[in-house]
Amino acid sequence: MAFSTEGLRKKTIGVITRRQFIKTSLVGAAALGAGELVFPRYGAARQKELKMLQWVHFVPGYDKWFRDTYIREWGEKNNTKVILDTIGLSGLNARAAAEVSARKGHDLFMFLWPKPDMEHQVIDHSEIYQECEKNVGKPIDLAIRSTYNPRTKKYYGFSDSFVPDPVNYRKDLWDSVGMFPNTWDDVRIGGAKIKKKHNVPVGIGLANEIDTNMAMRAIMYAFGSSVQDAAGNPVLNSKETLEAVKFVKALYNECMTPEVFTWDASANNRFMISGKGSLALNAISITRTAEKTAPEIAKKIWLAKACKGPVRRMGLEHVMDVYVIWKFADNIEGAKKFLVDYISDFRTAFLASEFYNFPCWPGTVPDLKKLVSYDKKADPPTKYAVLEDVLDWATNVGYPGYANAAIDEIFSTWIISTMFARAASGMMSPQDAINAADRKVKKIFKKWQKKGVV
Amino acid sequence: MDSLQEHGGKSVINRGGRLSFFFDNEKFLGPIMIAPAVIYVLALVGYPLILAFAYSLSDITVGSVDYNFVGLSTFRSIIEEPEFRIALKNTILFTFVSMAIVVVLAKILALLLVKDFKGKFFVRALILMPYVAPISLGVIGWLWMLDSIYSPINWLLQRTGLFGPDFWPMWLGTPGLAMASIITVHVWRMLPLAMIIMLAGLASIPKDIQDAALVDGAGYFRRLFQVTIPMMLPIMLVAVLFGIVFTATDIIIILVLTRGGPYDSTQVLVSQAFYIGIDAGDLAGGAATALFLFPLLLAVAILMLKIARRSEVT
Repeated sequence: MAFSTEGLRKKTIGVITRRQFIKTSLVGAAALGAGELVFPRYGAARQKELKMLQWVHFVPGYDKWFRDTYIREWGEKNNTKVILDTIGLSGLNARAAAEVSARKGHDLFMFLWPKPDMEHQVIDHSEIYQECEKNVGKPIDLAIRSTYNPRTKKYYGFSDSFVPDPVNYRKDLWDSVGMFPNTWDDVRIGGAKIKKKHNVPVGIGLANEIDTNMAMRAIMYAFGSSVQDAAGNPVLNSKETLEAVKFVKALYNECMTPEVFTWDASANNRFMISGKGSLALNAISITRTAEKTAPEIAKKIWLAKACKGPVRRMGLEHVMDVYVIWKFADNIEGAKKFLVDYISDFRTAFLASEFYNFPCWPGTVPDLKKLVSYDKKADPPTKYAVLEDVLDWATNVGYPGYANAAIDEIFSTWIISTMFARAASGMMSPQDAINAADRKVKKIFKKWQKKGVV
Repeated sequence: MDSLQEHGGKSVINRGGRLSFFFDNEKFLGPIMIAPAVIYVLALVGYPLILAFAYSLSDITVGSVDYNFVGLSTFRSIIEEPEFRIALKNTILFTFVSMAIVVVLAKILALLLVKDFKGKFFVRALILMPYVAPISLGVIGWLWMLDSIYSPINWLLQRTGLFGPDFWPMWLGTPGLAMASIITVHVWRMLPLAMIIMLAGLASIPKDIQDAALVDGAGYFRRLFQVTIPMMLPIMLVAVLFGIVFTATDIIIILVLTRGGPYDSTQVLVSQAFYIGIDAGDLAGGAATALFLFPLLLAVAILMLKIARRSEVT
């Protein structure tokens, strides 16, 4: 075959040949790699790095303060470049799974509910608790029950704050039927009256999402039912649970619409601010958002304590901030210091979150009652006073026991939400829905008990 | 100095270095050039598949630090769950109903668009839009369209009098409507690709065959069923098989629209595997659930390879 090198040479004039491309790439890559070795940033002066990940806060002002003020100032003081990544709350578990699989990721990772199933992947956080206790006094029991495993004696997380979950109700509509949502029976009777009179339903989620998970547990606890007992044994299948499920079925039939089966984490806010809802269980993000975007409706939405059931008045936290430090984190010491310092400055965080993030360390906001009792932004200014004794009616996921890996898997697979939804929709009878959920609950408990962490 | 040498009848350009032997010899260069693709497939398909089999035979969780072999007990445990049977049934329903609608609509659209008419370019561009737009954004758009409070669909149909003043369907709030919504959105997304494949198939039918049938007095439907469709069958089959793979493994529509609700009634195997394995951290359960798709996808893959081999030009 005739072949001319001249022809080839002509073809490659002005363009890079394969050989040149490979050589250039190899030399370039080697130079880039060597650069860091040849010109290191000088030892002591080299800035440390702290990578954090947390959710996109429902109060945008908090994220702005945290990113633009708090972490910038903390970084300057500690010669540390703090990198903050924020993601939507529904992506937290998947992101954590990816970081654990890669054994690479953020130094500080914040969950919005306890994650005891990650116990083997995180450091023992007891040192941070001890340090904070020295600085600001004892933490609340809710924080301990959401981050401590009594079986292994390990703190698998650190909680800075929790978010109360009061009743948000339309005062004008409830006044129009002459009622106030003090008990769950009030909600059912008053909600039905309002729906009949104004065609405005109650909206308590019955879907696979966090607000439903919290709301259904609040109802269970108020009815004397729970997933586990204080010692960590599964006790879902009980007459108290049956009463709670029957109640939710009646509540759905009399006061709600199929909309609650489509609920997501921001549905409470849309529902109440649209003016098309009479009551929801939610954090104060509904009223805070309404104060800025819909002041007329904000005036009509009032807050009440968690409703009282036949056994007790009990609600959950709306979300529970749980920071973890991975064993494989690059800057474990920096992460620990950040948390200790953050707790010492928590009063500013409480104010920046507009009372959304309640302290797990009460000593950090000694004037909390005074602050919430009168807020200029609220209409009326006493609207948030109802939160002053929130610890008397808020508890942890896993009540009356500690949050544990089995409780977390039950929480994350929406078993309780599905149980209530199936019964409410009529797809299953209340007892059949409980039996189906109970079978799964027992299986999950057995699995984790075998692993020795429950 | 470059020179041309003959080695066993093959031309090699010798540029004086040992490297040139590798770079200019097809025996070595071929494997080197194809290696990235092979490594890519092995690393991102082969390795995860082996890992999925390994996980499914264990009790591993996201937070585990050890591996305990438990045999087939995870599979047995999954099969016992009614949720698994619902997800399996939904996967089959979702895949085959969507594909049937897509094939019929794509064929109709292709037959319309093969004709010349004014504004054809604009119509084609509009039809292609759903496929060009990022799927997650498109589905979020649908989520708003089907919203329980602000649905513009409901608002429009109420304003035009098609819905009564008290009729406001919750598209994602009841099992039947939710599954219908999911299928509709999936059809909306898949239709453009299927239509393009059909259009290419239609264009490849020799015009003289159609003309001959016409001269022989064959009517529209006779030509459609006895000439056009049989001649397009191989390419339609490819479209269907691709569609089955895309549909059976799709997660984004369910993740954005219903998250498997109401009460797990729209869960499919892939979404179920995601929620169990990643969200709830039960990697073993998630892997075992996902592997139930393996036989279906393997059969489709074998069929596709057979079709591809048959159409190879030798």
